[in-house]
Amino acid sequence: MTVALHPRGLLRMLSRMGNILSKFSIEGKVGTIGLLVFILMAIFAPLFAIHPPAKITGDSLEPPGADHLLGTDELGMDIWSQICYGARMSLVIGLAVACIAGFGGGALGILAGYRGGSVDQALMRVIDVTMALPSFPLLIVISAFLGPSILGIIIILVLFSWAKPARIARSQTLSVKSQAYITAARHFGGKPFYILKRHIFPEILPILIVSLIGISSYAIIAEAGLAFLGLGDPTSKSWGMMLNYAVHFSAIYFTPYWLWWLVPPLLALIILLLCLAFISRDLERVLDPKLRDRRGEG
Amino acid sequence: MLKKDTKAIIYRFLITLFIILAINFFLPRMMPGDPFSTTSSTIQGEDVIVLTEEQRMYYRNYYGLDKPVPEQFVTYLENLATGDLGKSIYYKMPVREVIQIHLPWTMLIVISATILSTVLGVMLGTISARNRKKNTDRLMMSGLIAFAEIPSFLLGLILLLIFSVHLRIFPLAGAFTPFANYGSILDQAGDIAWHAFLPVLTLSFAQVTVVYLLTRNTLITVTSKDYIRTARAKGLGEKAVWTRHALRNALLPVVTRTGFVIGMLMGGAVLIESVFCYPGIGLTLQTAVIGRDYPLIQGILLVVAISILLCNLIVDQVYRRLDPRVVV
Repeated sequence: MTVALHPRGLLRMLSRMGNILSKFSIEGKVGTIGLLVFILMAIFAPLFAIHPPAKITGDSLEPPGADHLLGTDELGMDIWSQICYGARMSLVIGLAVACIAGFGGGALGILAGYRGGSVDQALMRVIDVTMALPSFPLLIVISAFLGPSILGIIIILVLFSWAKPARIARSQTLSVKSQAYITAARHFGGKPFYILKRHIFPEILPILIVSLIGISSYAIIAEAGLAFLGLGDPTSKSWGMMLNYAVHFSAIYFTPYWLWWLVPPLLALIILLLCLAFISRDLERVLDPKLRDRRGEG
Repeated sequence: MLKKDTKAIIYRFLITLFIILAINFFLPRMMPGDPFSTTSSTIQGEDVIVLTEEQRMYYRNYYGLDKPVPEQFVTYLENLATGDLGKSIYYKMPVREVIQIHLPWTMLIVISATILSTVLGVMLGTISARNRKKNTDRLMMSGLIAFAEIPSFLLGLILLLIFSVHLRIFPLAGAFTPFANYGSILDQAGDIAWHAFLPVLTLSFAQVTVVYLLTRNTLITVTSKDYIRTARAKGLGEKAVWTRHALRNALLPVVTRTGFVIGMLMGGAVLIESVFCYPGIGLTLQTAVIGRDYPLIQGILLVVAISILLCNLIVDQVYRRLDPRVVV
């Protein structure tokens, strides 16, 4: 973080990111642009949307027109602005869960791998059990228990997604730890924390970042799924919530309303997830060529 | 060596099971609200019967909710040991019967989807491996991987919109035509298959890619082996080499993987059943959660969790038995 704040460090980081981007395939570039559009849409939602998302600004179930770009829902709220503000919800949940679970789990994995012994054993057992739990049915019950709050949803999603990055970080740490240069650094008097920060963490960061994107997709899907089942925050305007309201509107399938009420959030979710998938695939290829060889692709 | 491994696996299975039992018991009890503050008639808000304070106390007492929680837990474990899952508050009948009514529907779509996705995945994987590095392979690869990124309930909604709403080929909801008079058992089976078609297709989509990639990559590894060259040198035809030598070996991991697939599908079925209003235990779980029906939530969670765990356990064992090269 301190590196990023320094102007020169920031410049170096940007050029490195540009470097990675230039190696992306067309799909990856499309995905990156798509994700940027979603991020801009989320940040500047009030500019993109003419109407506030949770106010009644038109008649009930107006078809798309000049005033309401994508029409209105049954309460007369603007669909397009709900899509814009809904991007905030999905992106915030994806980012928050990915950062907490990815870096938290990653840190635990690095520590366990570096320390070894009983700490490592204990962590591995917890990871095994966490990964064996049937996650979606439990998610439903736990989120019903925690009540419809964004914070609650973030917490449970973190609880179900930290194990994978932890396991990856642990096995990577184990293989890096045995390298000669780490032993050399230790013999030169490097303290454990210094070695972790200076040598091990940078080695593991690329693979951790790839798993971060995977976790954020998972979190976005899970939030949308829970909201779709009616377990989201009913006052929030998330895409999953929109799907839930639309699907539970009586006789929606016998009217043309689904065209502008159900299709937009559906497409928004799918496009966002595809963008993330394209980025993740290219990032994996660029950052870790070894990974591709191991999978026997190409 | 193997024996020690097996022991560790069973040990882990039991720990996981216990954790599920504990979550299963304590969580619903910590949920906000109680089943009798909303009453239990219907979920969508029609026909709400407001209970008087006196009636509420009667029901709390009747279902044992007024006793201290530890006492309830002991009773719960005791009943579980005898196979008694309690009584559903919403359906007003034993949980076991509720599950018995709805589980077959879930089993029907999960098992059909497992078979469909395995067969389709192996076929596509073989085609792809045979055309390796050609456009067919590349196209199938990126197409299927992109498809796998779309969560299945969204895919289900799309299929529902296209085939049931727009084209009106398939039904919108349910597992059979209500109040239908079937001429023969064949008609009935046809009707059930017709209703199950879209849910099964949706469930299969997500898994096809897994099987496809597994088949394709194993086939590619296997076909570079010496014994394939030997088979070709013997003068065997391409077809015989692929079916008798390559595919046979490549199928080993695929077949054992199907067990994992069943587990994944059981979890994914909840959302799919909600999309298609398919009356399996997933939809029942959703109803139970919204209606705060503790015993039913616990019963379903237990059944789902145990079936997923059992599938993984069995597959793990079979996998080791069949393919000693693989260290899981």
